[in-house]
Amino acid sequence: MKRLKLVLSILIVLLLAAGLAFAGGQKAAEKQTVTFFWAEYDGLTEDYRASLQDAFNAAHPDIDADIVSTDWDLMYDKLTTSIAGGKPPELSVIGTRWLLELMTMDVVDEVTQYLSKSTVDNIAPGAMEAKLKGKLMGLPVAAGARILAYNPNLTTTVPKTMEELREVCLKVNNPPKVYALIMPGKLHTELTDFAYYFYAAGGNFFKMEPDGSYGKCTVNSPEGVKALSFMNKLAQEDKVVQEGYLGLDRMDSHPLFYTGKVAYTFIGAWVESAAKNAGAPFQPKYGQIPPFAGQKQKPLIITDSIAMFKGTNLEAAGTFLDFFYKDEWKAKFDEAIGFPPVTISAGKLPQFQTPLYKILGEAALNAQGWPLIEEWAECSNIIFNAQIEVHLGKKTPQKALDDAAAAIDKLRGK
Amino acid sequence: MADASISLKQKLWNSEARLAYLLLLPAVVVLLTFMFYPIVYVLLMAFYKTNKLSRMVAFVGLRNFTSEMSDPEFWVITGRSMLWTTLAVVTKTLFGMIIALILNVRYTGRKIARMLFIIPWASAVPISSMLWRWVYHPVYGLLNHTLKVTGLWSTPTTWLGYPIPAFIACIWVDIWIGIPFMALVFLAGMQAISEDLYESASLDGVNWWQKFFFITLPGIRHIVLIATLLSCLWTFNDFNTIYILTMGGPAGATDILITRIYQNAFKWLRFDRAAVMAFVTFLILTGLSIIYSRVYFKEERL
Amino acid sequence: MKWRNRGKLPAVVITIVLLLFLLFPFFVMISTMLKSSEEVYASPPTWIPERLHLSNFITVWSEFELYIFFRSSIIIAVGATIFNTILTVPAAYALARLRFVGRKFTLYLFLVIQMFSPVIVIISLFKIMVGLNLLDTYFSLIIANTVFTIAFTIWMMNGYFKSIPVEIEEAALIDGCSRVQTITRIMIPIAVPGLVTAMIYTFIYAWNEFLFGLTFIHSRPKMPLVLALYNFVGRWSTQWELLTTATFLAIIPVLVLFYVIERRLVAGLAGGAVKE
Repeated sequence: MKRLKLVLSILIVLLLAAGLAFAGGQKAAEKQTVTFFWAEYDGLTEDYRASLQDAFNAAHPDIDADIVSTDWDLMYDKLTTSIAGGKPPELSVIGTRWLLELMTMDVVDEVTQYLSKSTVDNIAPGAMEAKLKGKLMGLPVAAGARILAYNPNLTTTVPKTMEELREVCLKVNNPPKVYALIMPGKLHTELTDFAYYFYAAGGNFFKMEPDGSYGKCTVNSPEGVKALSFMNKLAQEDKVVQEGYLGLDRMDSHPLFYTGKVAYTFIGAWVESAAKNAGAPFQPKYGQIPPFAGQKQKPLIITDSIAMFKGTNLEAAGTFLDFFYKDEWKAKFDEAIGFPPVTISAGKLPQFQTPLYKILGEAALNAQGWPLIEEWAECSNIIFNAQIEVHLGKKTPQKALDDAAAAIDKLRGK
Repeated sequence: MADASISLKQKLWNSEARLAYLLLLPAVVVLLTFMFYPIVYVLLMAFYKTNKLSRMVAFVGLRNFTSEMSDPEFWVITGRSMLWTTLAVVTKTLFGMIIALILNVRYTGRKIARMLFIIPWASAVPISSMLWRWVYHPVYGLLNHTLKVTGLWSTPTTWLGYPIPAFIACIWVDIWIGIPFMALVFLAGMQAISEDLYESASLDGVNWWQKFFFITLPGIRHIVLIATLLSCLWTFNDFNTIYILTMGGPAGATDILITRIYQNAFKWLRFDRAAVMAFVTFLILTGLSIIYSRVYFKEERL
Repeated sequence: MKWRNRGKLPAVVITIVLLLFLLFPFFVMISTMLKSSEEVYASPPTWIPERLHLSNFITVWSEFELYIFFRSSIIIAVGATIFNTILTVPAAYALARLRFVGRKFTLYLFLVIQMFSPVIVIISLFKIMVGLNLLDTYFSLIIANTVFTIAFTIWMMNGYFKSIPVEIEEAALIDGCSRVQTITRIMIPIAVPGLVTAMIYTFIYAWNEFLFGLTFIHSRPKMPLVLALYNFVGRWSTQWELLTTATFLAIIPVLVLFYVIERRLVAGLAGGAVKE
């Protein structure tokens, strides 16, 4: 009898549990839902996200938009798991580069078909990095070339070449109070600052085959060795780089610039808002990332896009994007995050005519993005580690880059 | 009637066993429902070529294993994982034991002390790791600043920038986070030991060292065994600490199997490589558990 | 009271020394959370802020609406603790006291679960949650947290139950108690320190759990606290003064809970019950 009671109570618990489970999961699915993985850009507030969501839902009662706020660092994980788990969102902010993998997985759809013509026509042609194989696979949401920023209290020279930059750095450097240049030396996800120097030397990560595909890795070309040697010289020999650079990644080191400890830094569109937040005691000034002597300017450009995932409510998602990309919302978005607007109409607005935006616009003309290959994340890691090994004195630049190129070729099966 | 040989059916299904199965049912059902498929899937994946969606595409037998094990990097990382685990668990256990002993002594303010010792554990691992990153910061971090100002170390190293300091920095954070758990578990274990044993020992003129070895330690040996085993399993797979502090750098100096698994699975979508490493992890940890269980079940019979 | 402590002085001293050493980052945290965002980046850094910037608390609590996330974390952590305890106690009792085929195997089974970090199984687990329609529910997190803590709690309670002498139970059984009654009225009360440890462990695990929260939850009101802390970690910079403030607030419930329950932790075996 007692045992029976025990059995019954256990069964009841399990039943309750199961009941809760299914009750908890049931959502009244009459409305179309649009889930949007929203990246938390610095400067974007919860208010903005909430009011965008509310405004859209009010204007379109038949659609239920759910804007899911996600930290940038965690976005890739969350997206990967959702996709692999079979339940991707309708929309997600992505690094445009991720499109390659997403296209191989065949989980993203061409976006133009779901958007109104006016939205598509309003996108600045220069921002269309997500046009792959002739199709627009992602709607640009943030696009920014990288530039040089400097502290006018510490220096007034805008160097025209890398060599000139070095000269100025040697003059300005005054440790421990003031350093000349920021160079992140700790591994982080993006291959900066190496890419800046490499592109400035006229280098290309891969040999381009006649059919447009990427061939062998050429990071160990003379340009690569030149760039890496130059970086190592600045850091290890000239010591014009911030103290403890090997333990500082990009996020750790840039505050040193904002607080006035360093004269020069290579940075992106976020510099102005980030500096203000950190209480910078000066107004940063801007210039282009200088090329090496005899080379053309070639800064790095990074774009983020919004991707649309197959098998979800894409018609409704398109409606949402049409709403979002109106100046009323998108211009506010661009202003908040500090990136140049990607829409033609927003680009004409007065708030985007500042010196920073002008420089960004100029930089975008000559800029080059990351190589559009699937395995870039892994390659990026390999090259960054090679750079660090050089700084640690474990390998010469040539050897480190040779090893890296070999590893990358092996990885890609070239 | 052959009653000397208890039939298997009787052994399997006597009233004691029936009750046991009943009591175990909820836990086992929940675990099997949620973990059976994931674990089997991962272990199987190691023998397949996978696509970017973590679907198994083609059976390749041991090919993933051979390609992984022919990479010298793999062995370095595996060895480092074992070093990491051993050092961390030993240190955590020692610290935990010392703290548990101290907190077992009755003095005023002990309650507050116990609460304060929990702090390293009270915060989420990724957040604590971020906080430590801030502490280790070469310019804004208060660690190096304090070392310089107090004269303990006038030119402190860049903790996360060089291979060996980075390893030490990471392992210390893992240890720091793990100490309260050990202390708590040992303390709980010590509560089961009767005060009278200590009192009569005192009367016999036994000093504290002997009390520890002959009363405390034997009294908590089960707890020590299980806590250290579980700690080994958890520490081996502690990914957040290292990843947030160094991402495995500098130049792979703090990479252990789990960080590699994470990178391969979530950053590079190389699920087959991640699965192989998970499989190897499983083998290593199983081996460890077998050794442990021999000791544990031997102890039980005592 | 002081005279009682004279002989305990070494213990007190060691405690203070250890606490100062171990709580170093905690002091850094407190120092940072009282600073304004400019002072956070003072170089060289300062221990004591020039001016106390207490508005960080207000910012974090109301502007970032931390209270929403507190609520969800409480639901998740308490739910997981309860669910875990319901599953653990009977199972541990069976493993500790009863003889049956497959006992060692079951113990081993629980251990095997622990060899797989959440990172490794998260994708498959996600698929299961989708399949059971549990995505974006508290229940998914309650289950997931229970699954990953149950190995420890069962082993812990197993060890604890075993350390209770069989005689006590036998005496009760002879006196006419059923098995269930011996569990509830005798074993559990004696095993309270072990049980409390297990519950604290589960609570802290669930309170701080992060990967499942990130993956299973979409709606903002259901997001656990840890995820909210990531609000302060931007793509280009981290707002340290706000992050440390929020972290401090997040730790408090754990500490309070521990302080309240701590008495149970110390309840040892009633001296008389053991002596025969």
